[in-house]
Amino acid sequence: MGYIYSLPMIFTAIGAVLCLSRSMYFEEFVSVISALATVVVTGTVVFLPDFSNGFLYIDGLSKIMLIMISAIYTSTVIFSTTYMKYIENPLFEKNFYYFLMNLFAFTMFFTVSVNNFGLMWVGVEATTVTSALLVATENNESSMEATWRYIIIVSSGLIISLLSNVFIYSATHTLSLSMLMSMKVTNAGKILTLGSMMAIVGYGTKAGIFPMHTWLPDVHGKAPAPVSAIFSGVLLPVALYVMARILQIVPVESVRIFSFALGFLTVLIAAVLMVAQGHYKRLFAYSTMENMGMALIGLSLGKYAFIGAIILLISHAFAKSSAFFLTGNVLAKYKSHKMTDVKGISKRMPFTAYTLMFSSMAVTGTPPFGTFIGEFMIIYGMLLNFPLFYTLTLVGFLALAFIAVNFKIGKMIFSESDGEMMERKRVGRIVPMVNTSLAFLVVFLIPQIQEILSKGMIR
Amino acid sequence: MLLIFLSILQLFYVLLLSPLIFGIFSKFEERIESKKGPSIFQPYYDLFKLFRKQVVVPEVSSPFFHVVPYVEFALYSLLTLVLPIITAFPLEFGPTVDFIGGGLIFGAAALLKKIASLDSRSNYSHLGVSRAASMGALAEPITVLIFIMLGVISKTNNPYIINNVLQTSSSWYLSLTHWFVAAAFFMILLVETGKLPIEHHSTAELGMIDQAMDLEYSGMDLAFYKWGGYIKKFLLMSVFVNVYTVPFFVPMKYNLSSIAIYTGIHFLKLLGLVISMGLLEESISKFRLFKNFDYMAISFSLAFLSFLAFYTTNGGF
Amino acid sequence: MEKFFALIGFFEILLVLFMQWEVYTKKIITTFSIASYTIAVFLFYLGIMENKYLVVILAVLTAGVRGFFIPWFMKKRIVRDPWREREIKPTISTALSILISLSVVIFAYVLYRITFYDSVHLSDGSIPIALILQGVFLMISRRNAFIQLIGYMMMENAIFLFEGYLFPALPFIVEAGVILDLIGIIAIAGIVVKMMKNSTTDSNEFDELKG
Repeated sequence: MGYIYSLPMIFTAIGAVLCLSRSMYFEEFVSVISALATVVVTGTVVFLPDFSNGFLYIDGLSKIMLIMISAIYTSTVIFSTTYMKYIENPLFEKNFYYFLMNLFAFTMFFTVSVNNFGLMWVGVEATTVTSALLVATENNESSMEATWRYIIIVSSGLIISLLSNVFIYSATHTLSLSMLMSMKVTNAGKILTLGSMMAIVGYGTKAGIFPMHTWLPDVHGKAPAPVSAIFSGVLLPVALYVMARILQIVPVESVRIFSFALGFLTVLIAAVLMVAQGHYKRLFAYSTMENMGMALIGLSLGKYAFIGAIILLISHAFAKSSAFFLTGNVLAKYKSHKMTDVKGISKRMPFTAYTLMFSSMAVTGTPPFGTFIGEFMIIYGMLLNFPLFYTLTLVGFLALAFIAVNFKIGKMIFSESDGEMMERKRVGRIVPMVNTSLAFLVVFLIPQIQEILSKGMIR
Repeated sequence: MLLIFLSILQLFYVLLLSPLIFGIFSKFEERIESKKGPSIFQPYYDLFKLFRKQVVVPEVSSPFFHVVPYVEFALYSLLTLVLPIITAFPLEFGPTVDFIGGGLIFGAAALLKKIASLDSRSNYSHLGVSRAASMGALAEPITVLIFIMLGVISKTNNPYIINNVLQTSSSWYLSLTHWFVAAAFFMILLVETGKLPIEHHSTAELGMIDQAMDLEYSGMDLAFYKWGGYIKKFLLMSVFVNVYTVPFFVPMKYNLSSIAIYTGIHFLKLLGLVISMGLLEESISKFRLFKNFDYMAISFSLAFLSFLAFYTTNGGF
Repeated sequence: MEKFFALIGFFEILLVLFMQWEVYTKKIITTFSIASYTIAVFLFYLGIMENKYLVVILAVLTAGVRGFFIPWFMKKRIVRDPWREREIKPTISTALSILISLSVVIFAYVLYRITFYDSVHLSDGSIPIALILQGVFLMISRRNAFIQLIGYMMMENAIFLFEGYLFPALPFIVEAGVILDLIGIIAIAGIVVKMMKNSTTDSNEFDELKG
């Protein structure tokens, strides 16, 4: 019975191996097929009961993560098939790109389904190994520098979380997730508390949480569009998933307050920095940071806010991946990262323009989209736990972020321009459009999400 | 009475042999560089010649300038009476000061030298004084830290007892704490004796520190100034070998023949130190002046790590 | 064993302080290689004495990858004359960075005493934590990519030392070690080589990566 839960990993691994062969369009075909297969498998997994053995641990949270990863992975691969031709002078052959992409998806599936903090750490660090070169695909000086910062900052952050593994192990004498979940730590000693805080900081590096977030805008700004999309959409939530596990096994007040504070500061800093941005990809990167900060606040508060955080993560994954695909379209045609160089998208690339408008509204939490429901639930949870002042501050900064993103993107879309039409064809239009509408359709699935989270499956 | 006799013996031993050590040092270095080199008695010839020369004093200087070399010589001679050089039991004047007191006397002599050099109103001397003062300001706390660590080891500040503890207890002798202190003191020793990574013995004023300070002295003043300098370096080196690194064979009980034998051994120890310092000096080059502070930082780190080693290896606070 | 560990540990701390002191990249690489070999020898001895084959694997990894391969590769890749390759203007002045590195060691000791000591009862367990923090500081204080990577590798060495000595039963540590080494190899293979070709370029073209 257990094999079905490991099928996503197996498919991606097979896809990665097959991509190593060099024949025309074979690697794209294989990648799309394996991605679609993972979607099918993860779609069936939600109807199956929870499962855990020595190696795997699948509960409601893991299932949601599996679905998210497979969906974003699929859209990324499909988008890549037509986008790769816009990258001049890539660092490596196309099949190696797909090889790394599949391997990257494999490490993420691995991270969310293993039953051990040690292996989880291995998985998160392996995502760095596999994705580092993806960031450098564009092969110019500044993307190299961005990759360098990514590797060095993220891996030193992850060393902190490896140390936290040691701390947790020394306090509990096990790293197995199922044993830790059944342990119900209520009175954690100094070591466990410190270890959990280090884990929050360490994995927070990967999730773009405040003290070590500096790599995030650089990488999202310089990576090719599909890579930015998969980073923002699922890689950061995978790191948040580990943090959520930590918060689940160590439900101690001090750790919760600590992660709340980090999330709060992340939102504040991201909102302030967004106002000053002049590069549109970096703008969306900071918006990702803001959303991750909100999600961390939700995870730290628990109860409804926890569900809110999950809803936020899902709809944000769809919306933000769509936004990055569209910035890729814009970059491919306008050849500039600067907002001042990009004028009148609505005249020259109408489909891209209107999808971009909706997706940028979605990532900032505008009402019809799932992000709004998620943020609303988190803010409600905050009102229950903290004085009104904090909530008002947070809402103020969220409004600042909303204005910054939508004003700047709106200026790019609706300004005058007298160039000719240069809209992209089929795939480049459809994939972002589907993702943006999925970010909205999540709203109808909220009862099911809650059911998965509380019972582990949909009956 | 015998203690007084031994004190006088020690005084003469230091006064007479200190120039010889530096004669040997320079001869050894020249031999390494495949040169013939001066005689090992060259410092004596120099001193002898200087004693016969006329004393010339800068017009603008005060009488203080003229007095300082004699006071300095006296202070260093006083120090020879209180430090463990040929015996590991206190001599007649031993109880008057401990390690901190000895440090204070060293400091007083250094201060007098600096003031006198300022008094000479020579630009080069001023240059040397400011450099020596900034190095000294950093070296002093490190020295104090070293003394405190020795105090931690022996629970006292008495150099004789420190020697006895290290001589008898092999666990202390082999401890990390002790060797960190010894390494830090060696780095300070190189600073205080003006050896190579810090100071080069040439006439280039860019790198001068201590040499620049005696430029205006002449005749008998200079002779005493230099002799005092030899004694100071000799004392520091003796403390380094007797207290820090090889505290063995130093007679702990009164026994005239063993003291006589040890006097020879002590000279051999110093020769060993001189050879190792000579080899070091031949194999490294001078730091730029501002890099000296990095060197001091490393030396401070060593002294501080000995603290940490004490806490970690002895079960902590 | 405890004395031996203290000796090795303080030696490592000194070596990192020496790396902070040094400006020439080649000497730092050599120092790092010595540090890795020393740790490998200690772990090997530990593994043999206590009959734990996992620790022996860690020792072999340390010696092979971080003692030999990475330093060798880096030295090969120094583009200008090896003895001339150096950090021209460090972000933090050398003397200050030595002192900060030292205070980091003291901080690690205090941290260890208030958290771990109650349950572990090994007084010198703070040394690996100190080495990790020193590695972080080495990375922060230098801009040269090689030295930053060495800071990272030093953290890794310290982690191995920590787990080999204090928690040899920790699961999946070998896997973690392999992954950590992979990161290092990827980093130097893919990135450093590219960056070093233009190590003299002005940082003006990175304007986009600010703010």
